[in-house]
Amino acid sequence: MRARAAAMEPVSSAPWITPKPLGESTVAIVSTAGLHRRSDPPFQPGAVDYRILPGDVDFGDCVLSHISTNFDRSAFQQDPNISFPLDRLREMAADGEIGGVANWHYSFMGAQPNHEALAQSGEEVGRLLAADGVDVALLVPI
Amino acid sequence: MRPPRALWVPFALGRPLGAAGDADFQKAVLRSTFDLLDSATEPTIADYPVEAPEEAGPGVWACPLSLPVTTDPSYTGRLLGEVARLRPWALETRTNRGRTLFGVTGADADQIDEVARALGGIADSGDLNAIEDGAVEWAFAMPLLIRHLADDLRTFYHEAIASQPGSMAPNHDALNEWIFGATALGDVLQTVADHLTNADTFATKLIRGFLIPEGHYDGGSAFPASTAFGAAD
Repeated sequence: MRARAAAMEPVSSAPWITPKPLGESTVAIVSTAGLHRRSDPPFQPGAVDYRILPGDVDFGDCVLSHISTNFDRSAFQQDPNISFPLDRLREMAADGEIGGVANWHYSFMGAQPNHEALAQSGEEVGRLLAADGVDVALLVPI
Repeated sequence: MRPPRALWVPFALGRPLGAAGDADFQKAVLRSTFDLLDSATEPTIADYPVEAPEEAGPGVWACPLSLPVTTDPSYTGRLLGEVARLRPWALETRTNRGRTLFGVTGADADQIDEVARALGGIADSGDLNAIEDGAVEWAFAMPLLIRHLADDLRTFYHEAIASQPGSMAPNHDALNEWIFGATALGDVLQTVADHLTNADTFATKLIRGFLIPEGHYDGGSAFPASTAFGAAD
């Protein structure tokens, strides 16, 4: 994996953006946990696509189809907020720490050594976040 | 990669916010992350200095149940016997939580025996494409389904542990040591991994690598040491 990473082109930096105050910002979660609703097609090996998760998603309606067996899933079973902190964001919004929680959140599947392959779907999620009025994207790798 | 602002956390994989069920701990991590929105003026990776609460590792935690159940000559029989012993605890966890993660294979929440028969049957027969049709609408084709049969059963086993009495929850290493050292499920997974090895194709070796956690296939990695699987030249 290190050899593959070293061979990749460096990702150039985007223009630096100073966001508006967090207390006025809408926050969305972007996960790599391979999380999706039961009715969605599962992630396949090498996946570069993503799944959409509504802000009122029922975690009981979700599964993890991530291909890797080398991370702890028992913690997610106990508390999905360990890697998808939707309840935490709602609490922080209620307390005024953040401006609000996005209508839509997104999950990719990790285990993708070729980050360049994710460019198109990543940019698509970026456009969706912008259209949803999101100011801050919280990227939570698994 | 150069994320604009990143918090490097000292937590185990699968636990990016550190402590399950601890809202205050998780929000402290989130606040430190969000603080970077103001403090960072260029691409920044900051270290989070707080460790997660300790959980019981291998040698500290042990499952109180006597496993594996060894009265049946077949892998399937032993696995079903073990599932039956764990079921009351797992159902208790599901009731307490009001949800289950079981079902990535396409199985319904109560189709635990069907999933166990599917995986046990592969261990017994060595046929990597053998899967019963009808009772379950499987979400994956064989042999990739094997990977997820393992996950659904591990979900069930983790649920069974969660309701058992004990002062400290087992960490990920302790759960792996238990499954691969003391359960019929672990025996089934090792045998299926051996069948995948014997099939000797890129696809079966890839699935083997995704089936067994690092360090638990013959004491080592289930991924072959090959550049095709990411090893260095």
